[in-house]
This record gives sequence, structure tokens and C-alpha cells, in this order.
Amino acid sequence: MEYLVPASIAEALRLVGEEAARGRRARFLAGGTDLAVQLADGAPAPDALVDLSGLPELRGLRLEGDGLSIGAAVTLEELALRADLPACLVQGARAIGSPQIRCLGTIGGNLCNASPCGDTLTPVIALDGRLVLLSEGGRREVTAGEFFTGPKATVLREGELLSEVLFGARALRGGSAFRMIGKRNGQAISQVNVAVWLECDPDSGAIREVRAAAGSVAPTPIRLARAEALLRGQVAGEELEREAAGAAAEEIRPISDVRASAGYRRAVTAALLREALAQALAEARAGRA
Amino acid sequence: MSAEKLSVVGRPAPKVDGPELVTGRARFAADFNFPGMLYGCARRAGVPAGRIRSIDTAEALQVPGAAAVLTGGDIPGPNLIGILPPYDQPLLATEEVRYEGESLALAVATTREAARRAAAAVRVRIDPLPPILTLEEALAAGARRIHPNGNITYQKKLVKGDVNRGFAQAEVVVENTYRTSFQEHAYMEPEAAVAVPGGDGRITVYASCQSPFHLRGHIAANLGVPASRVRVIQAYTGGSFGGKDDVATEIGSLAALAAVRCGAPVMIAHERAESIIGSNLRHAARIRYRTGARRDGTLVARQAEILLDGGAYASESPFVTLKALTHAAGPYLVPNVYVEAATVYTNKTYCGAFRGFGVPQVTFASESQLDELALELRMDPLELRRRNALKAGLPTATGQVFAQSVGLVQTIDRIAELRRAAGPPGGEAAGEPAGGTYPALRSTPGERYRFGRGVACLLHGISNGAEGVDVVGASVQVSQDGSALVGVGLTDFGQGSRTVYAQVASEVLGIPVERITVRQADTDSVHDSGPTVASRSTTVGGMAVLKAAREVAASLRAMAASMFKCPEDRVQLREGCAALAGQGEARIPLGEVAAAAYWSGLPLMHLAFSRAPDARFDHETHQGDVYIAYSFGTHLMDVRVDAWTGRVEVLRHLAAYDVGRAINPLLLEGQVEGGALIGFGLAHLERVETEGGHIQNANFADYALPTILDRLPTETLVVEDPNPTGPFGAKGVGEPPVAGTAAAFANAVADALGLRFTRLPITREDIVAGLEAGAAGGAAGPAGAKVKGKEAEHG
Amino acid sequence: MLLEFTCNGSPVRLEAEPAMRALDLIRDRLGLTGTKEGCGRGECGACTILVDGRPLNACLLYAAKLQGREVLTVEGLARGAELHPLQVAFLEAGAVQCGYCTPGMLLSAKALLDRHPHPSLSQIEEALSGNLCRCTGYAKIVRAVERAADRLHAQGAAPGAQRRPAAGGGRA
Repeated sequence: MEYLVPASIAEALRLVGEEAARGRRARFLAGGTDLAVQLADGAPAPDALVDLSGLPELRGLRLEGDGLSIGAAVTLEELALRADLPACLVQGARAIGSPQIRCLGTIGGNLCNASPCGDTLTPVIALDGRLVLLSEGGRREVTAGEFFTGPKATVLREGELLSEVLFGARALRGGSAFRMIGKRNGQAISQVNVAVWLECDPDSGAIREVRAAAGSVAPTPIRLARAEALLRGQVAGEELEREAAGAAAEEIRPISDVRASAGYRRAVTAALLREALAQALAEARAGRA
Repeated sequence: MSAEKLSVVGRPAPKVDGPELVTGRARFAADFNFPGMLYGCARRAGVPAGRIRSIDTAEALQVPGAAAVLTGGDIPGPNLIGILPPYDQPLLATEEVRYEGESLALAVATTREAARRAAAAVRVRIDPLPPILTLEEALAAGARRIHPNGNITYQKKLVKGDVNRGFAQAEVVVENTYRTSFQEHAYMEPEAAVAVPGGDGRITVYASCQSPFHLRGHIAANLGVPASRVRVIQAYTGGSFGGKDDVATEIGSLAALAAVRCGAPVMIAHERAESIIGSNLRHAARIRYRTGARRDGTLVARQAEILLDGGAYASESPFVTLKALTHAAGPYLVPNVYVEAATVYTNKTYCGAFRGFGVPQVTFASESQLDELALELRMDPLELRRRNALKAGLPTATGQVFAQSVGLVQTIDRIAELRRAAGPPGGEAAGEPAGGTYPALRSTPGERYRFGRGVACLLHGISNGAEGVDVVGASVQVSQDGSALVGVGLTDFGQGSRTVYAQVASEVLGIPVERITVRQADTDSVHDSGPTVASRSTTVGGMAVLKAAREVAASLRAMAASMFKCPEDRVQLREGCAALAGQGEARIPLGEVAAAAYWSGLPLMHLAFSRAPDARFDHETHQGDVYIAYSFGTHLMDVRVDAWTGRVEVLRHLAAYDVGRAINPLLLEGQVEGGALIGFGLAHLERVETEGGHIQNANFADYALPTILDRLPTETLVVEDPNPTGPFGAKGVGEPPVAGTAAAFANAVADALGLRFTRLPITREDIVAGLEAGAAGGAAGPAGAKVKGKEAEHG
Repeated sequence: MLLEFTCNGSPVRLEAEPAMRALDLIRDRLGLTGTKEGCGRGECGACTILVDGRPLNACLLYAAKLQGREVLTVEGLARGAELHPLQVAFLEAGAVQCGYCTPGMLLSAKALLDRHPHPSLSQIEEALSGNLCRCTGYAKIVRAVERAADRLHAQGAAPGAQRRPAAGGGRA
């Protein structure tokens, strides 16, 4: 396995193209935490690795009034430490693995690996993030919702890389929260995770807009559309939250696997949505509305 | 022995091997590096059952770096390993595959990667057989025989009194069926061994292991050489808990065979998945239990049928079966007991010794029964236990009577006292009055958080007992400078036994612990001491050190008496000196005494042999003196259960143990805290998931080992009721906390939810499913909860 | 690939396969066997090393990523015969049983104390959440880290390191 360290995005894209032309498979690499595990599990090794982790263009984090941009190679630990970023994203990053994994793993890696239980996936969807994809052919943007096509599958084409994740101004307002549950308290793989973002009317307190996403309950992370519909325009209260949680439990399509049964996933999706809603509302009311 | 004033024993001395461990200098087996060293990797079957048609090594030998590929035919000896007769396990299978981790060949190569590639390149043709995966399948009439003698590994009965008459007298009877799941040892260091051929016709094997003499025997037998040609030295061992010896024997033998064949050192170090699939687990159990009592709570009869799923090979199943059998009735006076216990073969990873050794499984069942009985009688569960507790002078389930060191009631009293002071679980927030009537649902159904309290009592037989001869060899050698070297045939794999031995020797010789070195177990140096199991390190091991130290102390005393010109009985050995009793200033440094003793021809080394009192029992009824002593304990656990997610927070955990005598309180706490968390894993977090005979979660993410965020707030309470067969009155405490914690957890959850789970682990998911079933009108309450979710493959 | 980095304060310069695991490079090429392999998948933390002060799983780390970095392994904690306060605290508190998880625990704890000299209980737990131990039950490990923090504070370690945002959700 060759190991290539490009000095720029352009070079990275070119290298992968050249390898492909030679009939060799090259893979982009950031922290490599997921890749190392896949290889340890016996996945066929690529012919070349192209290490993006040092590229300054991919490591930037820009927070301004009109939006937020996060480079794909920003580590999960860097996100977890930022009190000034949207709460659900910070909490999602914090929920991943361990400090060791977070210091090496990146948001780009987590998104591109697209594991259904990835903890940055639902926050990015809830915050209406857009993913910037670069290739030798040019640049395109896709919404987070469009990016994931199935378990560990995305719209990324051969020779294409994720360079940054963009969030609009609206994501920086309102309140958000992320909740997950696993089999144990520490280093827990999500059996289910839920991310909620919402904005309240400052006078009536009604939920002006809400986006709720759940992970590990369907082939891709999904929006809880029915729950959202119940909440939109309403003033939240325990009755409404319970109803929305019930709707969420019904609309998801979880499977039973070695990690959890479908029944449990339904039950905890409801619980996690209620918790996330409560937290997001508290944050929204506290002053960022 | 109990009242003597001790200066070293009883102190929290730091571990003697601590500095090596915190600096990374300590060499574990995979840390060794010898010139020309090769690496071995096993090719495993990958199917749970089948007949082997062919094993073709030609392609494997072509892999660059491959030096050799061994199969069963290359083994000069019997190609058999196993902890106990009938030694039914092949080193490298040649005819039949009985579980997916069965080793078929060993590839040896110049690098680890090359060895793995070569192992993968071994061509194997197996005709699969339908695997036998449950107890029912294994016991069904006409079932395929996994071994020539059938599918029962071992079975035994225990009979005391007449249970039928007992139940006839009972005014209240509770009955239920309990299950526990397979548990993985999960020591942090995977198994490893390195075999180094000496130029002198001998071979030395450094191994991560618990039983170096056992290893030596099997290595020699399989090599076809006398045992005296083999030397096993225990490397620093990163945890074992009973789990390493089967595999240490396997890879020690394979490494030795490869080393002889290739004329070079050979290292075999397992990867984690291989360790989980290939090495032994804790037996899963199905226990049918009936308990009868009078209205006042007096137990009159207990009856149990214990079926243990032991997987593909016997390992230590016979002894685990025996221990489950003798412990099923609990630490109570029960006049009529009938227990049948059996281990059954299935086509899954074989099961063997794991800290607790059958006692956790039966304790969970027994203590659940006690709580179900307390519920029926509307009696305080702790009071019910106290009423029936064994005391000195009362017979156990096997009719054994101890004149002393039965401190159970003292442990119950300690817990009761603290329970009174603590108030209800969850404090005033729970809004319920303190202790007493049962059940006390501490919050109304529909509320999210429920609080509960559970207790458990248990006993744990110390040392090998009726399982066989119980001997340990130890050596003590004092040098002319007054320092001492201690050797023991038992191993330290974290529990701190080397430190305990240093303290015992220090107490007797008067030499400070810093001037005592305890070497690692080496089969060349002391008498065959059997395995380091059954919490025997402190008791039988400590006694051997005591004996050896006393002999050498006699020489020092004689020499000092001659130097002081006084009778020997006025000489005291302490704080590095020989001192004259009654004359404070008269003192000679032990270095001078030792040198003088040497030059006077007095012996300064002694090899001692300690033999525990024989166990005497009847194999038909298991009545008799089965153990040299029992440790006794009582646990109390308070929990807060989140009904929405099934998450359980342990708010309080008290563990009171009668340990005879605490040799090192710091190490003792470590044993209780560590054992308790393993018990918590068994009860709440851990389950080896198998499907079709394949383990699905052979990694540390999907097998939910407790992390630091899952730890328990365990508080250890020590009761000392001295044991005449242990050094300074000590008994071991390494194992019982596993059982006590698991049982207390189950009872606490039952108290919190008003719902009894009869299967371990009780996971978050099980709790949510159980609450849903209860709400929907499914069977709930004391009769056992119907739980939705995956059925595990253990009948 | 020619790798140049600092290990335990000393410069290292060697030819190595860039895609080899840092764990194997440290153990086999540098002979520093204090860093252990427990699972090979980043799930146990026994292989934890510090790279530029950050804790990483050496079993997941490609050797190429060590280029130009400062690496600390357990062998680099003590100063000659003088043990690091964390090592002393672990010994005194009874936080070491079999010792296999200890090197990784020590380094995760060091990374924590270097950034947060006065860590809260929750910060200690989080910092060590990636290090598994099967022997001790963890309680004495927590106490050891608290003790070491007190000692380092008494020795006058630099105060005022950046504090973490308060714990706020994520896990149910």
C-alpha cells in the first residue's frame, strides 16, 4: 500500500486520478480511524492512501454572523471543545468513541464513512448542512439529506472528496440538542441517536421551525417528518412532546441487529426525541431565539 | 492466631512489582524479543461443527517468510490438551471440528503478517455437520454425539435430608427458572507465549498464564519429552481470571513444537477476536429452582436442577459443575437439599474457569429465590437471610461444620447498620419511608425514574477443596546481606499475591518488604503447586511461604541467640534487626546475623510444601468436608432505573466480607472493586452473542465491557473471623464479589420495577421490553417477566 | 519513507513503511514495549500514546502521521529514577493490578492534567473513557488522578489552562 501526502487539494485530486488511470485504487484518508478498523477486519487494502489530514484548506473552521464552515479534516475533538458552535453538533462530536478516537477522527471521515450510527450525521442534517464536494471535474454542493444513500453509502463519486461542511445563519440561531444511547455509558456506539434544531417565536414561544433527525433507525439518517409536522407552529408542552415522540416512534423503520432490537429502537427514539426537544427548547428560550 | 499484633501483615503495602508496571519495564509475554524469533499463527475452522476431510499446507508454505506449517500429524505426543481428564481437546484437530475456533494448523513465519497470511493460505476441506447449539438439542434423545461418550460432560448430585418431606412441611413454596449468559474474560492482555530452545536440550516457555506446572506437563507430553526438559516461567500476566490456562497450554505447546521443529524461538500472540472466539468463556446456565419455607421464614427445603452449557470441550467443567452443585443452597442452614448439576457439550466456544467458577450463576438463582420468598412472606429480605444464616457449628449443604470463621451474620449486621443510616434508596426524593416492608415501590408506575434496593448473601469455598490435591511449594532464601528471595509456585496476574507473600515473609523474618524480592513463578524452582485458582493464593500459597520463612527464621534466631548469649525464645526479628525482648537497645542488624549464620553453617534457604487439609466426601451424595474454609459476604445495592431508556444508575454498593484476616487492605479493596464490576457486567452489560454457532460480537465495542463511566461506587466492609487454615487467619476474597454483585443487582432492579427478570444480563433493552410487557398485561411480577427481544442460544 | 520525529525527548530518524501501525513501529523498531496492544481496533486504549500532547490510539495511527511530531510513551514519563507524580499516585492509590492498561491510563491522564490541572470528576472520567481496565473497577484509578492533580498543583504547575465547556448532554 503506497502512502501519499499531497501538499494541496489539487494535488490530492490529481494523485487519485493518476492512480485510477493506472488501474489502481486510491483512497482518501483523514484520521484513518474507520479505515484502520476495516482493514483490520479483513477488507481488501487499497493500492494507495492519500492523506488529507494536513491540508490547511481542509482544516479551517470559520464562524461568522452569516454562517459556519467546517473543514472536512477538522477533528472531532476540536469540535467537541467549541462552546460557540451549535450545541447538537458539539454534543454529537463529543459522543463519538473516546478522546483518543476524537483526537484523530474528523468530521469529514465520520460523514463519508456514513455509518448509520455516526454521531455527526444527524446534527448536520438537523442544522441543514451543505456538503461541498470537489473533484478534478469541479465543485458541487449537496444537502446533508441528499448526501447519504444507504448504510455506508454516499453520493461521493470516484476521485471526489468532501472539503467542507457549510451551515447557514439560521443554524446559528435557535436552539439545538443531540442525544444518543448505547449499551453502556462510555465509548458507546449509538443504538439510536437524535438531533433536533428549532427556532421559537420570541413573543408567542411557538416553534417557528424545527428539524429533527434520527440515526440508526433506517438505512440512512432520516428526518422525523411526522414529528416535525406536529411540532411546527405549536407552543411546546409535555402533551405535545409526548405526541411528537409517539409519532417519531411510528415513522421510523428500525431493524433488529446485534446492537439493538427494533422494539427497543422505537422506544428510545421516543425518549431521546423528548429529551432533545426539551433541551433545544430550553436553549432557544434562553436567548438565542 | 487471631489476636497477635502484627507489624507488616494488615498494612496497605504498595505492590512490590508496581514500579516495573508503571514505567512500562515489566515484560509481558509478547514483549520478549529473541534473536531469530519466528511468529506462529493458527488456522481456525470457522465452522461450528464438521468432519475434516483434508488439510493442505502446500500453498501456505509458499507464502514469503513461511518457515513451517504444523498439523496434528506433526505432534510427537498425544495431541491432547485439557485442564482435567479426559483431556478431550486436541491441540490441532485432525478429524473433527467441534466449534468455530478449533485450531487446525499452525503457520510459522518470520513476521506476524507473514504468519497470518500463511495461516489464511492453509487449504481446509470440512464436511459441515448441523451444529448442536442449545441444551435441549444436546440432551434430546438420538442427538448427535459431540464426543464419543455423549453430550454430558459431567454430572453430579447432592443430597441432604429428604426434600420431598421438606416440601411437604413447607407452608410457602416459590419456584422459578433462571438463566445466565456466556461471559468473556476480557483480560486486557490477549494470550501470548514464546518458546525458546536452550542449547542444553531443554526448552523454556515464557507464558501469560496462571498455572505454569500445568503448562509444563502438557508441553512436555505433546513434545514427547520428559517434563524435566521443559521449563515454564510466568511472564508478567495482564489479567487472567481463570481464562488463560486452556489457551496458554495450547499456544505454549504449539510454540514449543514449532520452536523445536524450526530450531528457533517462536512467539504466538493472539489478536482480540481470536482470543474471544478461541478461548474459554463462562458457562451459560439454566437453573430450575424451588425453595420451601415456613411462614416465619425458616427454610425447610431447596431443590435445584442446574444445566451448564459448556461448549465444545470439557476444560474445567467437572469442577465448575461441582462448585455450582455445592454452592446452590446458599450460605444458609437448610435441612433438606437436593441438587442435580450437569454440564452439557454444544458446538460453541468451550467454557471453563472464570472468576466465580459456577458460583455466580447459582447465587443469582438462589438469591432471586430468597427475594421471591421474602415477597411472599412480606418479610424484610435481609431479615429473612439473617434468620437462616449459617453460623459456626451449623452444617453446610454438604454437612460440613466449621468451628470458626463463619462470619456471615457479622456481614449481614454491618449491612443492616449502614442500611438504617442510609434511609431509602434515592433519598428523600423517592418520598418513601425507610426500610422494612417489601416490596416498596418507590415511585408510582408512569414515573420516569424508579428507585430500588437489593441485597444478596453468599458463600464461596476457598481453594481446591474436594476437587483434588491442594498443595503449594514455596522457597525462601536469605542472603548474607540480610535480604530475602521468595519463590512460590503460584502466579500473580494482578491480584497482588507477590505483595502478600512479601508481607508474610516480612512479618516472620523481620526483614522489611523493600528488601524482599518475590520472583515470578518458575517451574524449576519450587514444588508443583497446581493452578492459581479458587482464591488459594493467599491461603494455601501464603501458608507455604509462612512455613518456609519460619524455617529460615529459626536459623536467624539461633544465630542471634548465640550472638546475644541468650535463650532463643527471647529473640525477636523485626524492622530489619534481631532484638532482645525486654531490652530495647540490644539490636543486631539482620545482615550481620545472616552473614554470621552462613559462616556458622546454618541453613538460610528452605523449600516448603504446604498441603491443605484433605477434603473428605462421598462422591454419590456430596456430603462431607468439601473446602478448607468458606468466605462469606453480604451485598447491598441501590439503583435508579430510567424507565424510558432502561439505563440503570447504581447509587450505592456495599460489599461486606468475612475475609478471616486482611493481609493487605488496599489489595483487598482492589479485589472487591474489580470483582464487583465483573459481576455488574455479568448482570447488566455483557453477553456473548452467538448465531448459528458463530460469535457475533468478538470485539470490545459490541461486547459491552464496563468503561470508567460505568464503574460502581463500591464500598468494601471488612469483617475478620479468623480462619485456622490460612496464614494469620486469612481467607481469599478474589471471587465472591462477582456473584454477590450480580445477585444484588437483579434484586435491586426487581425492587425498583416490581418486575423480576430471571435471565442475566438484564440489559437496558430488557428493562424497556419488560416494562412494556408489564404495561400491556403480559406476565410480570414475581412469576418472571416475559421479555421481548432476541433469544440467546442457550436453551 | 524517511521518518523523523521526537520520541520521549530524543530525536528519531529511520526508514519505515508509512502505512505501518505506529504501535508496531514503537514496539518493534524502537524497542519500546511499554505501549501495549489490547484489541487492535481503538476500542481499549492500551496502546495510547501522546502525539503533540494529544492522546491517540497507536494501533490506528499510520506511522507516516508521526512525521515531525513529539511523541510521548510511558517510558518517557519518569525522569531517570524519578517517577512522574502520576506514576507515584497510581502506585500509592492501589490503581495498578495487572498493569497492562496502566501505560495507556497514565498517558491519557497526563494529557488531561496538562490541559486541565484542576480537573473535575467528570473531566477525569471523560479523559479516561477510552481506556478499559478489567482488574481494578476504576475507582482507585480516579483517585490516583485526583491525587496526582493535587500534588502537581502543590508543586506549582501552571494554572489557568483553558477550561472545557461544562458537561451538557449528548449521552442519554
